[in-house]
Amino acid sequence: MKAGKKLGVGLIAAALVFGVIGCGNNNETKNTAPSGEASKSPEKTPSKTEKVKITYSMWGTAEEGKVVQETADKFNASQDKIEVEVQAIPYENYMTKLNTMATASQLPDAGMMREDGVVQWSSEGMLTDVSAMYEGSDSKPLDSLAYTYQGKPVAYAATNEILLMYYNKDMFDKAGVPYPPSALDKAWTWDEFVAAAKKLTNDKNGKHPGEDGFDSQSIVQYGASVENLTWQLEAWTLTNGGGFYNDDGTDVRIGEDASVEAIQKVADLYLKDHVAPLSVGQTDDGIQRTIIAGTVAMATNGQWNVGTSLNKAKEEGLKYGVAVLPYMKDKVTLNTGGANVVFSQSKHPQEAMEWLKWYTQEENNWGLISSGIWMPVLDKWYKDETLTHKWVDNPNFPPYDEYKSAVVDYAQSSAARPASWFFTNHTTEFNTLLASVLGDVWTGKTTAKDAISKNLEALKAANKGDK
Amino acid sequence: METFNKPRQRRSRIYSSEARVAYICLIPAFLGLIFLTYLPLLGVLGISMTNWTGLTKPEFIGLHNYIKIFTTDPYIKESIIATIYFAILSVVGSMIYSLFIAILLNRKIPARGFFRAVFYVPFVLPAAAIYVGWSWLYEANFGFFNYLLSEIGLNKVLFIADSRYVVPSLSLISVWLAGNLIVIFLAGLQNVPVVYHEAAEMDGANGWKRFRHITLPSISPIIFYNLLMSLIANLQVVTPALSLTNGGPGNSSRFMTYLMYDQAFVNYKLGYACATTFIIFAILAGFTAVLFKTSNRWIFSEGGDDK
Repeated sequence: MKAGKKLGVGLIAAALVFGVIGCGNNNETKNTAPSGEASKSPEKTPSKTEKVKITYSMWGTAEEGKVVQETADKFNASQDKIEVEVQAIPYENYMTKLNTMATASQLPDAGMMREDGVVQWSSEGMLTDVSAMYEGSDSKPLDSLAYTYQGKPVAYAATNEILLMYYNKDMFDKAGVPYPPSALDKAWTWDEFVAAAKKLTNDKNGKHPGEDGFDSQSIVQYGASVENLTWQLEAWTLTNGGGFYNDDGTDVRIGEDASVEAIQKVADLYLKDHVAPLSVGQTDDGIQRTIIAGTVAMATNGQWNVGTSLNKAKEEGLKYGVAVLPYMKDKVTLNTGGANVVFSQSKHPQEAMEWLKWYTQEENNWGLISSGIWMPVLDKWYKDETLTHKWVDNPNFPPYDEYKSAVVDYAQSSAARPASWFFTNHTTEFNTLLASVLGDVWTGKTTAKDAISKNLEALKAANKGDK
Repeated sequence: METFNKPRQRRSRIYSSEARVAYICLIPAFLGLIFLTYLPLLGVLGISMTNWTGLTKPEFIGLHNYIKIFTTDPYIKESIIATIYFAILSVVGSMIYSLFIAILLNRKIPARGFFRAVFYVPFVLPAAAIYVGWSWLYEANFGFFNYLLSEIGLNKVLFIADSRYVVPSLSLISVWLAGNLIVIFLAGLQNVPVVYHEAAEMDGANGWKRFRHITLPSISPIIFYNLLMSLIANLQVVTPALSLTNGGPGNSSRFMTYLMYDQAFVNYKLGYACATTFIIFAILAGFTAVLFKTSNRWIFSEGGDDK
C-alpha cells in the first residue's frame, strides 16, 4: 500500500509539473517533419493545357482572404498559364505559421512577410532573388522599398508607409497656436515643437508647464506624444545624427552620444517638459490613446492610422491634420512596409514573380490604398499628379494639399529613409532587447545613457544574432 | 507470529489482484502520458542541445544553450526573479482572499447564490477582455485608479508602467481571478462535520479557536490541493505579459513562460527556447517537490495516517 500510494502521488506530481512542457509538444511534431531537403523532389513540368498552380499567403481574416482571392481570380481569368490560390492567415500567428510551414517544407510559393523577418529569412536561404522582377517595366517601386541582403534586392515592400505627425485642430485653435507645418522646408525644430507642446498642455487650472502654480500631477490635456515603440525610435536617433546601426546594418550605433541624446529627449517630453503622457512603449495603439482619445494635441505615428482608425474618428467629428515630423539636426522620417516575397522552396518562382508583379499594381490593392492604410509602391503615383489626385482626393483623407505635402511629397523626399530592417539582420532580437533596456528610461528611474551603455555589449551581440 | 502472518498473506493476494485490475485500467492514461508528455519531453531535451531555428537543419551543439543561458543571456535572471515574485504574491494573496470569501459565502447570508456567482464570474470571463479592462483601470495618465488618486489629492501611481509596481499590480488581477479556488474551498468547508463545531461550542471555544482547530485542519487537504494548483498555474504565468505589458517595463514582467514564448515564436530560436523550457521545468519541479515533502507535516487526514 505504502509503495503504491507513493508511486501514485509521484506520478500525479510529475504529470502536473510536466504540464508546463505543453509547448514542447509542438516542437516535437515539427522535428519529425521532413527538413528543407525534401523540397527538392523532382519537378513536374506542367503540360501546355494545364495551368501552373501557385499559392499566395497573406495576413488577414478569412473575409479579407476572400477579397484577395477575388482579385486573384481576375488574374487567373486574365491569362492561361497561372492559377493563384490565396491562403489567409491571422496576423498574430502569421510568422509562426510560416515558420512551421517552412519546417515542414510546405511553404506557399509567394506571400507577404513581416518587415523584421525578411532579411533573416533571406540570410537563411529561404527567399528567391527577385532583382530581375521589374526589368523592363516602365514604373519601378520607390528605391527605398527594396529589401536587400548583402547588397542584393531580396524582396519589395507590398506597401509604402511613413512616419508623420497628427494633430488635433480644435486644440490648436483653442490655444491660438499655429498648426504644425505640413511642408518639409518649414518643419519645426525640436525646440519649436516642445515650445508649442507646452502651450497646448493644460493642468486642471488651465496652467501650462513652466508657469507658476503648474501642477504636473493634474494635467488634463497633453501637448505632444512621440511614439516610443522601439522601431519608431530609430527616426529620432537618425534626426539627431546618430542611428541604430551603420549604413549596412552590420554594426551598432545606438551607443553613440547622438543616439542616446535623442532617446533621452523623447523621454524628457514626459519627465522634464511635462508635455507628454507617459508611454512605456508596450502597446501599439498610440493614436487611439492620444489623438482619438482626445487627450493629446500632437502625436507621431505611421500614415496607416488614417485608414485604420482616424477615418472613423473623423466621421464622428474629430478634426485632425497631418504634418511632417519635427527634427533635431537632420530632417528624417522612416519609411517601411511589409514585404511580398517568393519562397525558395517554390517550384515555380517565375510564375510566383509574375503574379506578384501583377498583384502589387495599385489597382489591385485599391481597397487598402483608397482607405488610407497602404500607400502605393510604384513611383508614378507620387510623381504624376493626376494619379495622386485619384489616390488622395477622397473623403477618407485629410484635405488634399495637406496630405499631399505631409505624406506624398514627404515620402519621396530626401528625409524619407528606409527603416533598418530593410537591410539589417536580427532586428527582432535587437528591438526586443532595446525595448527592455529602455523600460526604466521612460519612467526616469535611469537615464538613456546609463541604460544603453550598461547593455551595449548585449545589444551588439543581438545584432550579430548568434543562434 | 504465524497466526498474524496468515491473514496478512491472504489480504495481499486480494490486494494484488485488485492492483492488477487497477494497472490495466491505467494503461490508457499511461499511453497518453508516454506519447503526449514523456516522449515529447525527451524531444525537447534533444532539441535543447541544438541550434535549431525551424528554417535550417539543426546542428548538435551539446550544452552550449545551457551555458549561454547562465552566462550571457540578458533576460533569464530577472525573468526567474519576476516569476517567483509574481507566484509568491499571487499564491499567498489568492489563498487568503479565496478562503476568506469562501468562509463568508458559507454563512447563511441573504442572496448567497448570487454572491457565489459574482465571485466566480471573473474566472470564466475571457482573459483578453479582463486584461483590457484592467489596463483602463491601471492606465498611468488618465486611468480610473489614477483619477481616484488625483481626486483625493495624491500623486499618480504608474502601476503597470512602473517596474516597481508592475508585478504587484498583475498579482492583484490574478488574486481577483481566483474564483475557482473559492468554489473548491466552499466545497471543502461544507464537508466540515457540524458535530465538531457543536461539541467545541459547548466546551466554550470561541469563533477563532473553532476556525483554527476544527475548520483549518478539516480542510487542510483542500488547502494543499489549492496551494499546489495555484502555485503551478502562477509559476506558468504568461497571459498578463502577452496581453498587457510585453514583459516590460524593462524586464520586470518578463515571466519565464513569456521568455520561452518570445524565444521560440518571435525570435525562432527553438533550440534555445527548449533549453529555457527545461530550466522552467526544473524550477517548477523543485517547488512542487518542496511542497509535497513538507505537506505531511500539516495535512490532517481523517482516515488516519495512511502513508
